[in-house]
Amino acid sequence: MNRRLNCIMLVDDNPDDNFFHERVILKNQFAGKVIALTSGYQALEYLKTQYAGGMTGPELIFLDINMPGMNGWEFLNELRNLQLPRPAVIIMLTTSENPLDKERAAGENIITDFRTKPLSEAMLAEIIETHFDNDRHTG
Amino acid sequence: MSNRSGIHSELTFQMIVESAPNAIVLVNNDGKIAYANNQTEKLFGYGRSELIGQTVEVLIPPRYHERHPGFRQMFFHAPSVRAMGAGRELFALRKDRTEFPIEIGLNPLVTTGGTLILASIIDITERKKADERFRLVVNSAPNAMVLVNQIGKISLVNNEAKKLFGYEENEMIGNTLEMLIPARYRTAHVDFRNSFLSRPQTRPMGIGRELFALRKDQKEIPVEIGLNPIETADGIMVLASVIDITERKKQEEAIKRQVELEIKNRELEDFVYIASHDLQEPLRTMSNFAQALEEDYAATLDDNARKYVDAIGKAATRMHSLVRALLDFSLLGRNKKLVHTDCRKLVEETIADMADTVNSAGAVITVVDLPSLYVYETELRRLFQNLISNAIKFRKKEVPCHIVIDSQTTDDKCRMSVSDNGIGIDPKHFDRIFQIFQRLHSRDLYEGYGIGLPNCKKIVGLHGGEMWVESAAGAGSTFYFTIPNLQQ
Repeated sequence: MNRRLNCIMLVDDNPDDNFFHERVILKNQFAGKVIALTSGYQALEYLKTQYAGGMTGPELIFLDINMPGMNGWEFLNELRNLQLPRPAVIIMLTTSENPLDKERAAGENIITDFRTKPLSEAMLAEIIETHFDNDRHTG
Repeated sequence: MSNRSGIHSELTFQMIVESAPNAIVLVNNDGKIAYANNQTEKLFGYGRSELIGQTVEVLIPPRYHERHPGFRQMFFHAPSVRAMGAGRELFALRKDRTEFPIEIGLNPLVTTGGTLILASIIDITERKKADERFRLVVNSAPNAMVLVNQIGKISLVNNEAKKLFGYEENEMIGNTLEMLIPARYRTAHVDFRNSFLSRPQTRPMGIGRELFALRKDQKEIPVEIGLNPIETADGIMVLASVIDITERKKQEEAIKRQVELEIKNRELEDFVYIASHDLQEPLRTMSNFAQALEEDYAATLDDNARKYVDAIGKAATRMHSLVRALLDFSLLGRNKKLVHTDCRKLVEETIADMADTVNSAGAVITVVDLPSLYVYETELRRLFQNLISNAIKFRKKEVPCHIVIDSQTTDDKCRMSVSDNGIGIDPKHFDRIFQIFQRLHSRDLYEGYGIGLPNCKKIVGLHGGEMWVESAAGAGSTFYFTIPNLQQ
């Protein structure tokens, strides 16, 4: 049985990808709730509102790199500048084959992992097991 | 009164002459020395009493004795203030018979006892030495040097200038500098030259302009020129130091082309990344939704509908692979490193990595001889992997697959070969097989993207080698490629 997170956030300008990823998460019950947003601005607004209202944020964010306006890297910078409580895990999710992106991701301490789209059931199971492993037996 | 003032002026004159820094000799119209100052004694080594009353020729080297009285008399006929011996080198003779170079100024002096000539003499030995040193320095300079006077006439050139311009020294000296400049710049150059002389300072010439010099053979060469104003006895001169930059220009051109090529390559890489990203996105959506359709509507789809959905998914997956292959191909050798490599070991490791494929096909691979060479290791490994997997893929079903890997090494290159006893290739397809996405067989028969051999050929190309095939339909194939035998 897959471990279930409370909330996963998707930040991706492609609504088709968001739809498909939300579907695979919910269908396989990896999270109780999915917040799917199509820009970094929306995601920052959401997080600000959540924390201002004393509510918790998502435990896991899947972040697309190539987005118009504010790309994934810029989103990370903004997140750092706002000094919001950090979600436990941020995973860069992209189609980018550019090795420079991978190098850059490796240098970002805020990024936990780097994955190539699309999210699959197996990939999600592995991510959750790897990064949320320590509460598996207690939770 | 008049007598007393006469004595007074004579005394004043004597004091002036005695304190003058030059040797001063007064000569009467018989050519006899009437007076010589203290500097004259020092310069010539005579006591004054020894000189007074002698003809002036006592101070002149014997070889001029014949002509000098004539010059002297001519001067008395038309006395004027002037330098002596314009254009000639003048020499004086000491009491000890040594000669030294001099310059002489002549002044007619009208006295009660008739006209005297006042000759003011300067020893120019030091200046001559300095000139000579200058000449030596200029001549030993590694670049061409041309000394030009105020009116633009060439007064000195060095050996390098002769080589650079192709003229002999006497063809340049006395000519205007513009002979060394292409015709189209000549008029402007006269103005540049004059403006330089009005504010002479050491500086490079023609900042921001491309400079060209004209050789005797009328060939133009690109040059760089440094200008130095030089104070000389003949007034200010300009020493132009000229460097032939033909070779440098060529190198600059080559570097520029190289940089352009690198930029083009980078652009192409960027293009491939972007294209692959943008092409992958809709493909992913297609296969994602085909999958979602299959999963979510399994109950409502009939067999036909499922077949269609399946076809969409497969096509999307295949195109995804093709785009990946294209990306791989274009990025091949991107981080290549030349490493001294034991090629036999490399091939054996490659075969070990492919053990599953090799064993399941029952292939036998014989490595005869492979050298150690400087190669792009990762890329060469991939090349062998491609060739071996091709040999296995295109094996004959009825004969056990046998692959032979061998090489011949000479001083300048190593020719490696991978031979098989497979289905062979019709010679008419020899070109096609090395082109990207070209396939000879239908996909049902042999899976593939038509990228393996183009990759191999590109890898060989990275090494600066060549690749070709020898084969006939049904008769097995031998792929040959060469790798330069670098000894670093």
